[in-house]
Amino acid sequence: MTSTRSLRLFTLVQKELQENRLSLIWTPLVVAAALCLLMLLSVMFASRITAMSDTFLEVIMAEEMGISPVITIELDDNHTASSPSSDSRSVTDMQVQSVEEPLAEEEWDFSREWRFEPELRDKPAYEAEQVGSLNPVFHLVHSLLLIILMLVTVSYLLGSLFNDRKDRSILFWKSMPVSEWEEVLTRLGVALVVAPGIYIAVSLLLQLALLLLAMLLVWRMELDPFDTVLANVRFADLLLRQVGGWVMTALWVAPVYAWLMLASAWARRSPFMVAFAPVIALMLVESLMLGSRYVFTAVSNHVPFFVGGQSSDNIYFHSMFWKQFDFVSLFAGLGFAAILLLLCVYLRRYRFEA
Amino acid sequence: MENIVQARGLSRSFGDIRAVDSLEFSVPPGAVLGLIGPNGAGKTTLLRSLLGLNQFQGELAVLGKDPRSQRAQLMEQVCFIADTAVLPGWMRVEQLLDYVTGVHPGFAREQAEAFLRDTEVKPSRRIRDLSKGMVVQVHLALVMAIDARLLILDEPTLGLDILVRKRFYEQLIEDYFDQQRTIIISTHQVDEVQHILTDVMFLNHGRLVLSRSMEEIEKQFVQLNAVGENAVKALGVPHLGAQSILGGKAIIYEGVERAALAPLGELRTPSVADLFVAMMGGEK
Repeated sequence: MTSTRSLRLFTLVQKELQENRLSLIWTPLVVAAALCLLMLLSVMFASRITAMSDTFLEVIMAEEMGISPVITIELDDNHTASSPSSDSRSVTDMQVQSVEEPLAEEEWDFSREWRFEPELRDKPAYEAEQVGSLNPVFHLVHSLLLIILMLVTVSYLLGSLFNDRKDRSILFWKSMPVSEWEEVLTRLGVALVVAPGIYIAVSLLLQLALLLLAMLLVWRMELDPFDTVLANVRFADLLLRQVGGWVMTALWVAPVYAWLMLASAWARRSPFMVAFAPVIALMLVESLMLGSRYVFTAVSNHVPFFVGGQSSDNIYFHSMFWKQFDFVSLFAGLGFAAILLLLCVYLRRYRFEA
Repeated sequence: MENIVQARGLSRSFGDIRAVDSLEFSVPPGAVLGLIGPNGAGKTTLLRSLLGLNQFQGELAVLGKDPRSQRAQLMEQVCFIADTAVLPGWMRVEQLLDYVTGVHPGFAREQAEAFLRDTEVKPSRRIRDLSKGMVVQVHLALVMAIDARLLILDEPTLGLDILVRKRFYEQLIEDYFDQQRTIIISTHQVDEVQHILTDVMFLNHGRLVLSRSMEEIEKQFVQLNAVGENAVKALGVPHLGAQSILGGKAIIYEGVERAALAPLGELRTPSVADLFVAMMGGEK
């Protein structure tokens, strides 16, 4: 009985992956392969100091100077004040201040939940080293893949309950003993768990490959790869932030994903318009009529926040997470998501003719 | 045995239009029911109600279940071919088989594969690259391999050439149908299914015009082909409808003694198509 049930689940997920194999499977693999190739080229031409190895060195140097390629933002004012951190910290902070200034308080609110600031206790140990921590480099790679994941997922969800209505194959799917709940939840599960799982796995493998290549590069530059590279990577921290970070992100983006699915189930012509037009209209109306930005805040609370073009060090597990946690926003979001899913199921059941 | 389908006061409206209007009928097990009506008569709406694909008012039990709330369970016992265009084009045939194997407890994969081996369809082909006729073969292969009690076909051969259509119904009867299974077919190509039907339902404007078994039709309806003066006489007898034939009229009567008509010309049982035309306003 359990075996048929897991076969069933497997089958439903497999179908989604087969249908979207290009965006969910091939895209991350191709991106990863391309990055590896670039890195490999830079290793091959390392002796001639090509642009790539230049960049790599720059990154290392920058890190040494305390400027991480990923802008880490110290939002927690108390911490900064009491931090025993070295001079390099304040360089980062100052940079950040200038970015932060023109933005309203609300806009930054949401970033608190996302923000991960490496614990200060980590810092000194690595700053003592010749080269700073390499973790930010890997986070950059990871962020790149996650940005692609987000874009791909949005497009996946917008099509998820629409495409089969459009090509009428829904009549076949409905001739199978699969309930609307199973269909809707499978798709949400693919968006929240399966697809991120694939992307994160590819990202981790990619980071491992890059690490090895970096060691090779350093070795060809006649430095000690273990000392220069390996010693500067905090693996546990990488894993915690990249894997654990997604768990938290998933909880926060669930309502947005459910909304996209509803647009997909609702739309007769364009799920994209159905998804975005009303939200943007609502924001405009609110700001014109009331001058407030509640809708904007509510939405941006649940959007992984580099979508707004801001920095990207934010979809990671936050060590202070539970302390500065906006429970109301989180649970309001999850409740909203549940209602949206209910509507998806209803539309899928009774109003599926495109 | 209990009826496969039991409907009472079954209605569905779109705005002012009653697509299906207080239908009352039942389908016994082992029947092959032809659902026949002009475009817009409500056939598809009726079939979709049976399948739990749309809302309706009134009472309806399919295999003892309410299709509105139990579609998923119902589909373990019911197969459905809407028309040829509905198999997902992006899928490969083998992926489709994987899927049905995974979600359908009554599916015998070997049977479907054996069926497909006799066709030109290769398992690695994508559905969208197949011809319409081949897609029908694939769908039929799935349906054949599912141990279902009720098969619902909604215009299953629409847009197919006559060879494929003929083969489709042949296979349906030879390989699929047995006394345990029940089939409901809606189609415009009445002539092609007539020989396999046990029951007929005529639908017009959402209402049931006629619901009989083929045996009853044979008993109750008669067609008279009369020529010359006989035709004029024959038209004097109350009839359902008449059509011109070479040199005379073909007239269809309901409940008239055959013996009374025999002197006027050649008697025969009307075809379902002719009966349909006569009842749907071919009477002039």
